[in-house]
Amino acid sequence: MVSETLQATGAEQEAEQAEREAPDQDVDRGGERSSDSEDLLVREGDIAGDYLERLLDLLDYDGDIDLDVEAGRAVVSIDGGDDLEKLVGPRGSVLEALQELTRLAVQQETGVRSRLMLDIARWRESRRAELAEIGRANADKVLASGQPVKLQPMTPFERKVVHDSIAAIEGVHSESEGEEPHRRVVVFPAD
Amino acid sequence: MSVLADALEHLVRGIVDHPDDVRVNLVTTRRGRTLEVHVHPDDLGKVIGRGGRTATALRTVMAGIGGRGVRVDVVDTDR
Repeated sequence: MVSETLQATGAEQEAEQAEREAPDQDVDRGGERSSDSEDLLVREGDIAGDYLERLLDLLDYDGDIDLDVEAGRAVVSIDGGDDLEKLVGPRGSVLEALQELTRLAVQQETGVRSRLMLDIARWRESRRAELAEIGRANADKVLASGQPVKLQPMTPFERKVVHDSIAAIEGVHSESEGEEPHRRVVVFPAD
Repeated sequence: MSVLADALEHLVRGIVDHPDDVRVNLVTTRRGRTLEVHVHPDDLGKVIGRGGRTATALRTVMAGIGGRGVRVDVVDTDR
């Protein structure tokens, strides 16, 4: 039941590990490998930027596209006019769909699966704070009652943020259960 | 061509092996409006995706940008 969560966490750890190992690789291989993967991530951002910029042009939406590389993945952020809310959609659903298509467009060019993150109108940024608070509040509830609590169904991104915030609290742990799109976080008291 | 059709055509062109074969037509029938996506037969799988995942993403984006109530159908060019 938790395989998907573990997978997501595993990927994060992999990225962190890759960052930590980068200096050693610099010594061993003259930095070839780490700069290669950095180049790939920059290229991912460029391809994604072109794909999304053309979309904004066609829709006649105002938006500035910002490209970055964070924690081993390309990050594309679009900020600008009110029209962008349409590209976020109810509970970020349109944003998730557009991120999926953008990853496919990147993979089409590079031939490599992309873990690119797309944010629009700072939705992920603000939602992240909200979700971390939901995680903490429910952890407190479970600590007080000793009973498990089931949260609302969430997207993989949302569950990941909640799991991370609960993992930082002693005396509770969390798992995901159910099938998409009804998959939800359950908070348990530690055994 | 409508903005919706242009946007959809762009989104699909970016994810296929034969972008020049992509055409999107907006057709109106008694049952409402439909965006017909025509792609090279070899690209059908890419546009539909595993478990229909990519087609669903395309529909979600179209609904977001004002195409709510507009069907999105993927057709191969042989038809």
